[in-house]
Amino acid sequence: MSKPRLQAEWEEIEGEYQQLQETHKIYRQKLEDLTNLQATCSSAISKQRKCLKDLRQTLARCAKACDDKDIKLITDIKTQIKDKENVFFDMEAYLPKKNGLYLNLVLGNVNVTLLSNQAKFAYKDEYEKFKLYMTIILMFGAITCLFFLNCRVTDEIFNFLLVWYYCTLTIRESILMSNGSRIKGWWVSHHYVSTFLSGVMLTWPEGLMYQKFRSQFLAFSIYQSFLQFLQYYYQSGCLYRLRALGERNQLDLTVEGFQSWMWRGLTFLLPFLFFGHFWQLYNSVTLFRLAGHEDCKEWQVFMLALTFLVLFLGNFLTTLKVVHQKFQKNHKKVQKSD
Amino acid sequence: MSQGITHVLEEWKCLDEEYQRLQETHKKYLQKLDDISKLQNNCSTSISRQQKKLKEITHLVKQYSKVPSEEDAKNLHEITEKIKTRPNAFFEMEAFLPKKNGLYLSLVLGNVNVTLLSKQSKFAYKDEYEKFKLYTAVTLVLFSFICFFFVNYRVVDALLNFLLVWYYCTLTIRESILITNGSRIKGWWVFHHYISAFLSGVMLTWPDGNLYQTFRNQFLAYCLYQSFVQCLQCYYQSGCLYRLRALGERHNMDLTVEGFQSWMWKGLTFLLPFLFFGHFWQLCNGLTLFRMAQLSDWKEWQVLMCSLCFLVLFMGNFFTTVAVVRQKIKTRNPKPKSL
Repeated sequence: MSKPRLQAEWEEIEGEYQQLQETHKIYRQKLEDLTNLQATCSSAISKQRKCLKDLRQTLARCAKACDDKDIKLITDIKTQIKDKENVFFDMEAYLPKKNGLYLNLVLGNVNVTLLSNQAKFAYKDEYEKFKLYMTIILMFGAITCLFFLNCRVTDEIFNFLLVWYYCTLTIRESILMSNGSRIKGWWVSHHYVSTFLSGVMLTWPEGLMYQKFRSQFLAFSIYQSFLQFLQYYYQSGCLYRLRALGERNQLDLTVEGFQSWMWRGLTFLLPFLFFGHFWQLYNSVTLFRLAGHEDCKEWQVFMLALTFLVLFLGNFLTTLKVVHQKFQKNHKKVQKSD
Repeated sequence: MSQGITHVLEEWKCLDEEYQRLQETHKKYLQKLDDISKLQNNCSTSISRQQKKLKEITHLVKQYSKVPSEEDAKNLHEITEKIKTRPNAFFEMEAFLPKKNGLYLSLVLGNVNVTLLSKQSKFAYKDEYEKFKLYTAVTLVLFSFICFFFVNYRVVDALLNFLLVWYYCTLTIRESILITNGSRIKGWWVFHHYISAFLSGVMLTWPDGNLYQTFRNQFLAYCLYQSFVQCLQCYYQSGCLYRLRALGERHNMDLTVEGFQSWMWKGLTFLLPFLFFGHFWQLCNGLTLFRMAQLSDWKEWQVLMCSLCFLVLFMGNFFTTVAVVRQKIKTRNPKPKSL
């Protein structure tokens, strides 16, 4: 072991360290510039949005008092305004933004915007994998509880897992929406409702009523997980194909329902979905009947009945709307060809 | 063309020009984003390479220092000192670089980056965490007060327990984010939130019954006291931390905790008896529940599980606090050097 070798190595390390410090300094400087650019872009976008809103109002006023030629101009401008708003939505997907109420409560004001296309896509991919793995675990959990173990403790663990799963889904979906994913309406709310449902199931104490409903609930959970697994499998294949054809956005997700793009090859899923919805209705009816039973003294029974009913109505009506829209489109096509 | 339309067209032209400028700025922004992520990769790989090399050279130094000469000893000492302080510099640098989330954050959030990239945003985030703790502690005080004195329903109790579970889970998430951002909270003060979340979860599943009603009042009074102490701690600790940070004696990212730490000797010693009282209340809860489990009409597993949790909480809290007290006594009365 010689001194020169030690000295040489140490000098090399020191040299690299100095370089690292320089790079890090440049990095911190660029970070500051970037933050300023972000602020500029964000304020420019909000200013433009405000001006466009005012312009739309002015246009509406003008449209009442002008001739045909001007009407064409006005419609033209209106379309351009709409296009601009879409562009702003896409731009904002790369700018940091304040979190919504839910994310603010849970995470605080840490920025969850992923700042590159690959990062967004990777995050979406990870979300899908998370859903898939958890669905499989829940399916096995429900099978174990239904066929092998009849213990309130294991049921509790299963319910806690459900609550945790749906809460985590809501968090991750809020992050995806911050990043430009266009999931909306019922497909987001129904996770909150499911969390509430699993939470109430959790507090339902052991008893006659609980034992009467237990098997039905576990069988329903197995079917639901199996259905979600099917959906994931077929939907991701379909989405992959449609994205390659450029017909869907990169950040479109698999959902637990039926959406317009699924008519291309996934129509066979519809009967399975409707069966699941009617099972929710059946759960609701069973629970209402149990609530009317003379032995029933738990508030959970009635609350669960209501929740299952809400789930059924939301799922069924949303899916029905998609089917209705398809029929209307087909009807219009037939009319045009006549 | 009417006058209104002319006016609209003029405005539209103005807006369009600004829009073009915005598009260019945005393009420049996306370019800079790209540069930054390259720099980030550069820095991160350089740091991990350096860390590896430091380990190797520590080895070499150990070998060489067995037979050093006079001047070499001085050199070696210098090098060893630098090797010791280098990891701190790396830790500070990494607080501004994106990193992979730990297991817990990965499970809950996925691989979204939670590193806050400027000192102000880190400090603002820490501030927000403290406010969250304070407001939720106040809510818990009010809620347990209502449950204890006014309302005796299992449903309302369940709501309180859900709030507790949610509160502790959210704390664990936010603390993981703070740790990723360079906060040095460790050991028991992180772990005990997981245990508290578990305890509240088990309390949640405890069905109404004789044993539950027997324990209920003690538990609600304990919650009331605990939340009150947390409010006190948040209030006094943040004042103290503010002062110490201004004096440069504490790090910016130090947080208020639910226990006693070394810096609290400067003005917060009065909190100690309150804390110890809380710990002994936890012990009392554990023993009460353990005795309940010996009763003839005991059939709920929750009783033993909660008893165990309370005992673990007591031991962790008590021994961690006693360790701080012992350290203080040691520094005050150093052992006389033997002649």
